[in-house]
Amino acid sequence: MITSQQLIEQIQKNVGVPWQSQRSDGFSDGILFGSSETTISGIVTTFTPTLDVLRKAFNSGKNTIICREAPTYSRGERAPLFWRNGPAPSKELLDNDPVWRAKQEFISKNNLVIIRLFDNWDARQKDGQLRGLSRALGWDTFHLARGTGEDTYDPRNVYFRLPTTSLNSFAEGIKKKLNVHGVRVIGKPDSSASKVALTHGLLLVADAERILREPDVDVIVTGDAVEWEAAPYFQDMVAAGKAKGLILLGDEASEEPGSGEMAEWLKGFVTEVPIEWIPAGEPFWVLS
Amino acid sequence: MSEMGLSRRKFCQLAGTGLLAASRLARAQSHSGSTLTAREVVARIKKNVGVPWHTPTADEFKIGDPDAPITGITTTFMSTLDLLERSIVAGNNFVITHEPTFWSAADVVSDVRDDPLYEYKVNFVLKNKIVVWRFHDHWHAHRPDGIFTGWNKTMGWENYAVPAANPFSHEYVIPETSLEELARDMQTKLQTRSMRLVGDPKLRVTKLAHAGHYIQQCMQALPNVDALIVFECREWEAAEYVRDAIASGQKKALIQLPHEGGEEAGMDECARWLRTFVNEVPIKFIPSGDPFWMLA
Repeated sequence: MITSQQLIEQIQKNVGVPWQSQRSDGFSDGILFGSSETTISGIVTTFTPTLDVLRKAFNSGKNTIICREAPTYSRGERAPLFWRNGPAPSKELLDNDPVWRAKQEFISKNNLVIIRLFDNWDARQKDGQLRGLSRALGWDTFHLARGTGEDTYDPRNVYFRLPTTSLNSFAEGIKKKLNVHGVRVIGKPDSSASKVALTHGLLLVADAERILREPDVDVIVTGDAVEWEAAPYFQDMVAAGKAKGLILLGDEASEEPGSGEMAEWLKGFVTEVPIEWIPAGEPFWVLS
Repeated sequence: MSEMGLSRRKFCQLAGTGLLAASRLARAQSHSGSTLTAREVVARIKKNVGVPWHTPTADEFKIGDPDAPITGITTTFMSTLDLLERSIVAGNNFVITHEPTFWSAADVVSDVRDDPLYEYKVNFVLKNKIVVWRFHDHWHAHRPDGIFTGWNKTMGWENYAVPAANPFSHEYVIPETSLEELARDMQTKLQTRSMRLVGDPKLRVTKLAHAGHYIQQCMQALPNVDALIVFECREWEAAEYVRDAIASGQKKALIQLPHEGGEEAGMDECARWLRTFVNEVPIKFIPSGDPFWMLA
């Protein structure tokens, strides 16, 4: 038997870095909803606890969901971060919102426990999100740090060399492999792509600058980019002939395989209950 | 094709053969005697915008000499390098942009000063004697909001807009259609490539609202409408919210446009508006365009 509090303690013991209880600008990692005394019947890892994921978890007999994004459609910023995202909805707005109320009722009625694990997972020496995405793409063998004696998935090792192809074919291959629809691209479709930087989530200009200090990077593949920051930065990089492309997979598509990694990692030290990765799936469809 | 490379090459060829000088001369003659400066244009904008000028504001000169005579005005959503190049080819060295030039909301130069791309862009601007001024806060503050006026005209939705007390509420009642048909119509009219959708393609829609970029606006608007329109909103906000609304049994949808698709048309409107009080130089709306393309 294991309670949600004991699970948190197990995670803290195994995460390998000092536990950060509260990042200054967001939700804390830990139990967002549910009781610390709940006996865990099973664990689901996922990118974001949509109502659909919660139903699947419950129907498979698992009452604990470990997620990266919070269930309340916000990262809970106390102060808006340059308006890249919105401020968290007020308590009044959230409490009266029919969508959140339906989800909240499902959580409380079924005694579910929602645990957020984002900042501490990302603080690890090994980038589980990157490893998950790389393996989902089948890129393990193309990793440039492979066989160098360094830990391949150190967060700084983001570079891969793939067989040279056009940016268009390259993006097409990724789209098929990950089965994602809303892939957005900046760059000339026929430019050649070989050396690639793979990251996940929201790419900021400072990230792009750091990544592109490495020579000969053709393309950055990531989740999303602010459309008045890194996106026009990349348009200008392409126009100036300094880089060839930016491929945006979407947040969910770029981060979800990391939740698969997290499930595997949890299985290494949580043996009392079943553990399953349930992808939230890409939220979007696009016109054909 | 290297758009930048090609047009820069073209630029150099033209300059080399003297054609560029000739075309510049022709322009100077056709607008003979105009000594209008960017600063004078901005003074007229402040006089005509109809709201008090607030500071601090993003609406400031970003680069270039505001006191040099201008050859023509380009209005656009985003002063990308490619757009600046096209503005020069069109003969306009004064660019009025809705969004930043140096990749942050406040064009914070100290963050990018050491970036070779910053140096490249600055050199391009100075070499071509471009002046860039941003027109964001006060164009939105204009009544009606200049950005939405332009968007409504481009969509042909002027008569579908619901009059509202809240200036940030932009609701519409349109002739009933399906989500998919509406999305196709919008894609064509806004010339956008990177629209993304949540919801049943066959959902019947007639009531819509713009919900800006953030979850609070989405929560306020969704109960009254069939579909929300956002133009850039982080995925963990609008997309997750609307898909949960659908999962909980509501018949709703989300149309997520690129930021550009929601706001570029407003700078076409800006060009129309400028022409009512600036007639010394040509004024042209040049779309910076959807930054993204998608796979077939």
